Amino acid sequence: MNHMKPMNRKAHQVEVAMEKGDTEEVVAMAAVVGCATTFDPGWEVDPFLGVAGLCQPMEADLYGCADPCWWPAQVPDTLHNYPDWGTGKDAATKDWAQLQAVFPE
Amino acid sequence: MNNNKATLRTALALGAVSLGMMSQLALAAKKDYLVTAARPDKVVVVDAAERKVVNTFTIPNTAKGNSVAGLTVSRDGKVAYVVHNRWETVSGIDLDTGKEVFRAELSSPGIRGKAHFAIDVSPDGKELAVHVSPTKLKLGEYEVQDPYIAVYDTSAGIGAEPLRKLPAPRRTTTLAYSPDYKRLYAYSWDMVVLDPQTGKQIGVHPWRSWKREGYGEPDTLSVSPQFEQANEFATPYFIDYTDKNGKKVTKAGVWSLDLAKDKVRFSEFEGELVMPFSTVINPVRRNEAYTAYTQLTKNDIDTGKLIKRVDLDHTFYTVNVSSDGKELYVGGTINEIAVYDTETLEKKDTIIISEGDQVLSSMRMVQR
Repeated sequence: MNHMKPMNRKAHQVEVAMEKGDTEEVVAMAAVVGCATTFDPGWEVDPFLGVAGLCQPMEADLYGCADPCWWPAQVPDTLHNYPDWGTGKDAATKDWAQLQAVFPE
Repeated sequence: MNNNKATLRTALALGAVSLGMMSQLALAAKKDYLVTAARPDKVVVVDAAERKVVNTFTIPNTAKGNSVAGLTVSRDGKVAYVVHNRWETVSGIDLDTGKEVFRAELSSPGIRGKAHFAIDVSPDGKELAVHVSPTKLKLGEYEVQDPYIAVYDTSAGIGAEPLRKLPAPRRTTTLAYSPDYKRLYAYSWDMVVLDPQTGKQIGVHPWRSWKREGYGEPDTLSVSPQFEQANEFATPYFIDYTDKNGKKVTKAGVWSLDLAKDKVRFSEFEGELVMPFSTVINPVRRNEAYTAYTQLTKNDIDTGKLIKRVDLDHTFYTVNVSSDGKELYVGGTINEIAVYDTETLEKKDTIIISEGDQVLSSMRMVQR
């Protein structure tokens, strides 16, 4: 946790709980509000905190990030919030240009 | 009379020989088939040796803007069970007819149930275990419920309800039955061993609680179940190691569990910053573990030696292996499966399996 600083209340609770040894009491929602089943809420980095180890090309991983709501800060999640974002555009390497930006309603 | 007896004995002996030959032929006739899924709603069956898609089936009544997550196939190769419909439905698709022969909804009024990759069918094909994370949808808030393993009778057809619900740890990313049905493994922060009937914890192989001098807590992501060929679950991991001089390095390794023997083995095979995503064990040369991501690696899990590493054409998530241990099939992400030689890691072929991407759908191997 040396490289990470809690930015909101929930993250602060996690840090405090870790210090007290009460991590289990902070329920990391396995299906966060029915989304983020895989719970990577931040920006994508590789296991070494860099970007060299990320998928190549990014299109190979595009639906791998969107369909499981893996990186909801970077890609619209198609599990709940933007279920039709990729509908009919099933090959990311061919259809990427048709995928549009989204804006919270 | 004696002649008749002799004739009968000869006939019986010939019959036994020919029956033996027939069963040999039947065994020899069995082929490897890869079973996976592709956006928006397809289950794909590939003849691995022929490099050919032999069947593409459509999953009925599903959400088309998403992809299949976990996929498992009955040991007889007849039915594939898929998590789909934005991960709220499990369907069984008959791999001969394409008919949906099983369907279970994980959500119900007021409850949103999600499964992802943790799904397995019992060795006799009669039970299906699915890890479910339910959330109660209240008027002003979402309330997290305890996760559970839903166990279904696979003959329950459409509208199946769980036979029983077993308590299960959160963060379970893999479920795997032992071949003798005595154990149901749930891979979470530890590899928890459950009684498949009662759900009672009957063992544990430490993971997060794994203590080794100089080593930190291991980190892994195991979302690609591909243990059926060697009956050995395997996952790559990272771990920090601090030596006696205080120098810290991050190592990558492979951790595996023999599902038949309930035995763990592991080794760190390199200190370089190269990312592996999923692992498979060779069923013939069982010391060989292969990892896939943007590189394909071949490692000796018994000695910790990285034998070879090659660049792939792009990133892949999954890797599976032929029954004779000679070929690797690298899949996931886009719409192709690449074929590699296990001895040399030379590329042999590419199989285009669909229009749509496979994404994170499991890629399983069966013999038919």
